[in-house]
Amino acid sequence: MNPRVTTRRNENLTVATMNNPRTPAVAAVRDALPIFIPAIPFALVLGLAIVESGIDPLLGWSTSLIVYGGASQLTLVTLLGEGAAVAAAVTAALIVNARHLMYSAAMAPTFQQQPAWFRWLGSYLLIDQVFALCMLRINDDPRDFRIYYLAVGTTFWLLWLLTTAVGLFIGPVVPLEWGLGFAIPILFLGVLVMGIDHWPKAGAALVAAGIAYLAADLPSKSGLLLGALAGVPAGVMLENLRK
Amino acid sequence: MTTFLAILATGIGTYFSRSLFILSLANRRIPAPVRSALDHVGPSVLGALIVTMLIGPDGRVMIGYAEVTALAVASLVAIKTRNHILTLIAGMSVFWLIRALL
Repeated sequence: MNPRVTTRRNENLTVATMNNPRTPAVAAVRDALPIFIPAIPFALVLGLAIVESGIDPLLGWSTSLIVYGGASQLTLVTLLGEGAAVAAAVTAALIVNARHLMYSAAMAPTFQQQPAWFRWLGSYLLIDQVFALCMLRINDDPRDFRIYYLAVGTTFWLLWLLTTAVGLFIGPVVPLEWGLGFAIPILFLGVLVMGIDHWPKAGAALVAAGIAYLAADLPSKSGLLLGALAGVPAGVMLENLRK
Repeated sequence: MTTFLAILATGIGTYFSRSLFILSLANRRIPAPVRSALDHVGPSVLGALIVTMLIGPDGRVMIGYAEVTALAVASLVAIKTRNHILTLIAGMSVFWLIRALL
């Protein structure tokens, strides 16, 4: 890399990114590792959920490769294991993943400056953490952005495949009476609470939870879909009231 | 086989949601009402999902003092620390502690 070009570009970077090493790949791995740590309990709980669901462990693990999204994998595996209708389980998992539409939209302008192969591959790697880290880099030189994105993306991808495989063995070793399964709603609650940046979202979540509670005895876990469908318009209404 | 097809369908759908705008819309703006609706999809699904996870095999929500207190403490810790590990540790500790006491 031409040092003069690097120096020139560094002048335009924010204070936050100035301390990063010059090579985007090294910076990417350094940024990715601490952010992966919270995903480790998720991976272990997923391993437990796969084994408890009665799905073939290797097949369950293949969700890490094919779906590659912790919350949706957990949703799919748990619902399939609890005997929900396949269509309901898939729909629920996809709804959990609907937030990626927002990431895709936010990233689209940056990806316009990128080659086609990277648009296809980068889409596969676009998980929450990759989005969060790479949004801070969208004004980088396109080549630097691509290297950074690929390095962050493959780091998370490899670690996720590895830790979810380990989770298959460690998750179930923990005795049932510990009630480790309760870790799943706690982790999801954490994800929910941290994602609420203004109160209409909290309203949407509460309405959705209330409807799901009232519809708890409906078959095939359809209360989940009813709740989610009720929450969205409730949130939009509260949002409009606020304006 | 059914399970594999379910996984495959979820995988394809997930890829679709990640690639849709990157591969197609590029520079066009999402209409504001759509953006607002998308904004509330995540919280709604999570809210309904958490309740669904607490439903027992008999179709009733199984939740006692230990669960309610643990979820409340976990929420507070999540708000305060924005840290998944601390949230998990706090929630599970309270859950185990109250279960042991009752």
